[in-house]
Amino acid sequence: MTAVLPWATLVVCLAITIARLPSLLRGENRVLFYIFALMTLDILLSIEGPYLALDAVLGGVNVTNLILRFLLYGTFLLMGVKIAMGFASASAERAIRGPWGLTVLGLTVGLTTFFFVITDTRGSTVGMNGLTWGPSMEAYAALGRFYPGFVAACLLPAIWRTVTGRPPALLRGAAALLFVGLALLLVSQLFPLIPAVHLWLRSLINYSAVLATALGLAGIWLSKAYARRKTKNFDLGLSQKH
Amino acid sequence: MPLQSKSFQRWLHGVAPHASTADVCRIAGIKRTTLAQQLVRGKVAESTLVSISRGFDINPVQALATFDLYAVLRGDPVPPTACELVSQVATVDLLRAVVERSQPGSIPAMVLSATPHPTAVRNWVDAIDDGELRHRVSQATGIAPQNFSAHLTANRLPPELAIATSRAAGVGPAGGLVAGGLITEAEAGWPPNARQEALDAMTQGELVTLAGERLQALGKTLRRQEQDHERTERIWENLG
Repeated sequence: MTAVLPWATLVVCLAITIARLPSLLRGENRVLFYIFALMTLDILLSIEGPYLALDAVLGGVNVTNLILRFLLYGTFLLMGVKIAMGFASASAERAIRGPWGLTVLGLTVGLTTFFFVITDTRGSTVGMNGLTWGPSMEAYAALGRFYPGFVAACLLPAIWRTVTGRPPALLRGAAALLFVGLALLLVSQLFPLIPAVHLWLRSLINYSAVLATALGLAGIWLSKAYARRKTKNFDLGLSQKH
Repeated sequence: MPLQSKSFQRWLHGVAPHASTADVCRIAGIKRTTLAQQLVRGKVAESTLVSISRGFDINPVQALATFDLYAVLRGDPVPPTACELVSQVATVDLLRAVVERSQPGSIPAMVLSATPHPTAVRNWVDAIDDGELRHRVSQATGIAPQNFSAHLTANRLPPELAIATSRAAGVGPAGGLVAGGLITEAEAGWPPNARQEALDAMTQGELVTLAGERLQALGKTLRRQEQDHERTERIWENLG
């Protein structure tokens, strides 16, 4: 199950990215394509084969993992801003891309780099699971979970309001999926409490989070396409029974 | 709770002893699968009974009355109150009446649109509500007040709830069925011109006040819909 999940997630993300190509060429919501493309790349680099291949080129000291962290931060910054704008949460948008949000991001990037540098990361291994984990390593990993969790925490209230509101059913379902995906990122803050023998649980949560988030975002797009296809009859409720 | 399929089948046998299920569905204009499903589940919707009654030229109210659940419909129809009649006039028709009263002859002669209108259920309940009605209905039926409200907002009124509401308000039992769209006013035994006459009997002040209330409620609903629509569009614009 946990061996299939990364590949399944990769296939889903790649499929959505390819499906966004026509919109990209038409110039519609380009950022959304970049978000899905970044997600695909993130997943690709967290799978053993591609990871080891790239890391071998980069010197075999797990620099690829650091790059993956930066890519993840970028993904969440873009996604966070776009979702905050879509769900009309000015406070979330401010928290993510306002001065405070960017300070948080800057600190996260700086500290991530710092802890990477002071840790002995020799010996290419995906997720750095094969290394001996000291405190600096724990801090590095925690920072990697922190920023996505921070963005998720900013977005959840606005998404919840949509889930419990009165939008079309398909959109509500998609928003619910997105909510689940982002909520899992908050759950992932508790990873240090999971015993090392249950590492599979961590990857289950991680990949489920990405999968739910990607499907939720794609679902929003789908709900739009569906609504546009139905001939819209904006009945004012004056003359006919609806 | 809808009609028990056993008693429904007994009734159907009495109405059309020789017709096959296929014939019944064809005459009534309902889907075979729908009827089959309802029979299997053991509960037949009142609307199915009404469609079949119409198909066989039976008064649906009398057909419903043969079931114990709707025994209250037996006997001569109770005439509707003036308030009930006016509540079943569509808002546009009310507005036309206002214009006609202030400038006679300025608009073509009008015929009231058929029942039910888009806010018929809420207007009916408001018309018979003495302030405590919702409370009494929820006590009598066990329905939570917010669920009752949800029905009103969706302009739905399940037949059983319609009966319970009219009973709690002390008005004729068929009024709610008309407002909920299960039966027509004629089927409920309302005289053909009753709504028009009730409308004509209102003073101009009453008429304008009522039209104003309706417009205000409609405006609120429309504004809410527009806000919902705007929110949805914004999500799609950014993430679609």
